[in-house]
Parts: sequence; C-alpha cells; structure tokens
Amino acid sequence: MNLFFQQVINGLTLGSIYGLVALGLTLVYGILHIPNFAHGALYMVGAFMTYTLMIDLGSPYWTAMAGSAIIVATLGILLERLVFYPLRHSPPIHHKIAAIGVLLFLEATVQLFWGADFRRIASPYNGILRFDGLIIPEQRLLIICGAITLLIGLQYFLRKTMTGATIIAMAQNRDGAFLVGIDSNRVAMMTFGISGALAAIAASLYAPINLVYPSMGNLVIMKAFVIIILGGMGSIPGAILGGMIIGFAEAFGGFYFASAYKDLISFGLLVIILSVRPQGLFAKGAH
Amino acid sequence: MLQLKNVDVCYGSFKALSNISMTVDTGGLVVLLGANGAGKSTLFNTLSGLNRPTAGDIEFEGTRLNGLKPNAVVSSGIVQCAEGRKLFPQMSVHQNLMMGAYVHRRDRQGNKRRLNEVLELFPILEEKAEQPAGSLSGGQQQMVAIGRAMMSRPRLLMLDEPSLGLAPLVVKQMFETIQQINSLGTTVLLAEQNAFAALKIATHAYVMENGQLVMEGDREAMLGNEDVRKAYIGA
Repeated sequence: MNLFFQQVINGLTLGSIYGLVALGLTLVYGILHIPNFAHGALYMVGAFMTYTLMIDLGSPYWTAMAGSAIIVATLGILLERLVFYPLRHSPPIHHKIAAIGVLLFLEATVQLFWGADFRRIASPYNGILRFDGLIIPEQRLLIICGAITLLIGLQYFLRKTMTGATIIAMAQNRDGAFLVGIDSNRVAMMTFGISGALAAIAASLYAPINLVYPSMGNLVIMKAFVIIILGGMGSIPGAILGGMIIGFAEAFGGFYFASAYKDLISFGLLVIILSVRPQGLFAKGAH
Repeated sequence: MLQLKNVDVCYGSFKALSNISMTVDTGGLVVLLGANGAGKSTLFNTLSGLNRPTAGDIEFEGTRLNGLKPNAVVSSGIVQCAEGRKLFPQMSVHQNLMMGAYVHRRDRQGNKRRLNEVLELFPILEEKAEQPAGSLSGGQQQMVAIGRAMMSRPRLLMLDEPSLGLAPLVVKQMFETIQQINSLGTTVLLAEQNAFAALKIATHAYVMENGQLVMEGDREAMLGNEDVRKAYIGA
C-alpha cells in the first residue's frame, strides 16, 4: 500500500510541473491562438536563470526563483512584442515557424553561454519526511504545494480581478473584448508574461530533482502539448487535469509496467483519449 | 454629436463603404435601414475602430476618431452592441455586465450605480445574475448585450440588429427599451432590417444600399416614402 501512495506522490509531483507548464501554453493559445513551441525553451531558460542566480551569484533559492520568473516573464513579453505582434496579420503558419525559430534561437544562445553540459541545482530542501512508512522528499512536497498555491492564485487573479478577467474575456470572445474597450496589446503582453513566469517557476521547482541542460524543455513541451490537446486547447481546468492525468499515468505506468516506457504512456493516452473524444476532455468553450 | 464626411472603407480592392456622409445629433434616435450586406455593420465597426477608413473624416463631439483604437473609441463615449451579441458565454450575466464597465474600472461607486440602472431596465437579469450568459434565451442574451454596452456609459449607443432572431413579443419589448434608453439621455444609432418598428421610434433615418447612403429623412418623411415602404416595410 505504501508503494501505491509513493506513486501518488510521484504522480502529483509530475502532474504539478506538467500542469504549470501546460497552463502557460494553454493561456497563450486561448488568447492569441498561437501554439507557442518556444514555451519549452522558456522553461529551459527559467532553469538556467535559477541556476545562474543561485550557483554563480549566490542568491538564496527563493530569490533565484523570483528573479528567474521576472526575467522569463520579461523575455515572454519581448517575444510577444518583437516576434508575434508583427506577425498578427500573417497566416497562422508564420506564427508556428516563428515559434520554432525562437525555440532554436534560445537553445543555441543558452548553449553558447553555458555550454551543453548537464548541470545540477542542489536543493536547499534535501531532507526527507516520513509518515507511517511513506517517504516524501521535501523538494517533491515543495513542488506539489508550490504548484497548488500558484494555481489557486492564478484562478483568483483570472476569476476575481478585472485585469485577470480581461484574459478570460479575450479567450471567450475576441470581438466582444474589443467592444468593451479591452486593449488587446495589454492582454497579449500580460498573457505572455504570466506564461513565461509559470514556465520559469515550474523549471525552478523541478530542476533540483532533475538536470539542467539546453534541450531540457523539448520533452516537457511535447508533454505539455499532449496535455492541452487532452484537456481541450485553451481550457484552463483542462490543462490542470490533463497535467495530473499524464503525471499519474507516468508515475503508475512507470512503476507497474516499465519506467523505460513512461514517455510512451503519455502519447498512448493521447491516442486513446482523442479516439474517444476528439475535441479533448474540456473542449466546451475552448478553442 | 457625430459627423461623417465622405468616408470610404476598403477591404483590399473591394470598396465596402463609399462616400458616407451623415450626422447624428445629440439626443437623437437615428435609424440606419438596409438589407443584408448593405454595409451597416461595416459602418458600425468603422465607428468602433475595428475597421480603418481609407478616406474621409469621422468626428465625435469635435474630436477626430479616424485611426483610434477600439478601446480609445469606447473611452470617448461611443459604444457598440454588435450583431450576434458577442457575449462572454461562460462568464456569468453579472460578470458580463461588469466587463462592460472595464474602461471605468476605477470608479467602483459609479459602476455600482450604473449596474442598478441597467438592472432597472432589465429586471430579469437580476434573477439570472449568476447564470452563464451563454445559457440564456436569445432575448435575454440581447438584454445582457445591451446592458453590457450601457455599463460602458455611452453617450452614443450603436445597436446593430438587436431584434435579429427574436420572437415578435420580445422584439416589441426590445424596441420599447431602446426608446426608454434614448429618452433617458443616450443618443442611439440603430441599424435594423425591421424597418417599420425601427422607424416608429426614430427621430431621423438613413437608408443604405451597396455601401452607400441612398436616402435620408425624418420619421414621417421615411414612413411616408413610397420606395421605403415598398423595399423595407412591404406595404
């Protein structure tokens, strides 16, 4: 039974990270209808920023995470202004090509300055908590609690504040949003900023139990795409639940079948769910 | 209040509006008649800043509107309630109405007062306040759309086909409400195909065909005009 609960903890950990990354991706898609392939690169830059602030500049973990979130949020806003905004009247394929270009550019830039080596961020929370035979590493607990806190905060921002509601309004009816006087540029920049910050925080939370390297975002972004397709493109609850489904499927599948096939499980699930429900789990009202 | 001088709008090489000149006086209820595709919605979207005029001038209360962004147009006091309602379907009725107050978001007291005025116009919306707007009937959705536009505190309210797809009884109530909004001090520009009902409450009317204004006059003149009666009233 303990082994089962151990997998629940692992599933929650993975699901929290996937959910945070997918949430940023789905927010941008919901508003601007851009599949931002560069989102995985923002995740990777987030991990490198935390690494640099912590290891090279000696900042405490939380300060490094906040600094990384601010830097990547700014990078996200710059991407919107310099790359996607000028393409706003172009055919959709141009956004996709530009996003892939940004992904390659960011990876190559990081490789130029930091090299291609694998790096490790030593967690300041490396203790282990034990509850009745159940082993919970502190960092994993931090990931779960951190993600839940962020999700609640984001939900509050989106549902209860006028500024946050502009993002939801823009996703539900773009013309309607223009007609009530919402400034689309402001919403687009804000969405890219939030999306970048979420990616950086997810990377900073996950990096201490993983490795940091220039292509670390590639598998994560593929999973995030699986998640938002599963959950329904543009759906916020879909991204959170989809993240948990993939996280749990990987944790349990990896443990009870074979850990070597855990990535295969995500994509297998995608095929199965799309066969049964092609619009995704939460597609109602999503794009 | 609103003056258009020789306004042209083009979509690529297609001229959607040609040489439009019109005036809307403060306190008036001006009706724009025209068949589908005549250019009424294009004109409204141009006034809202969603389309840019390729020639001509648009002036509102002495300020030139050409090239202003939609948010600046709403802030200046021109608000459109568009055809198809353009609501936020998963948001509640209350949230939809409050989104209408976006440009006045810092004036919480003023928004509260305005919300009460809107709920007096449409009492049913108070009962439905927590329901998603997308789950309401067509008539109730139209009330939310007009209510949301009123929350933006327009001095000029543009209503694009508000009676479209509604039951006859609801249409009658809708026109009464529009007249009430006008009598409370909001200038109204109303695009309609339901010409008889619209002309009954109008102070002035324009007729649009193929992107051009082809006729204008006050209510009596338009109701008495043989061409208008044949083309739009069917009598």
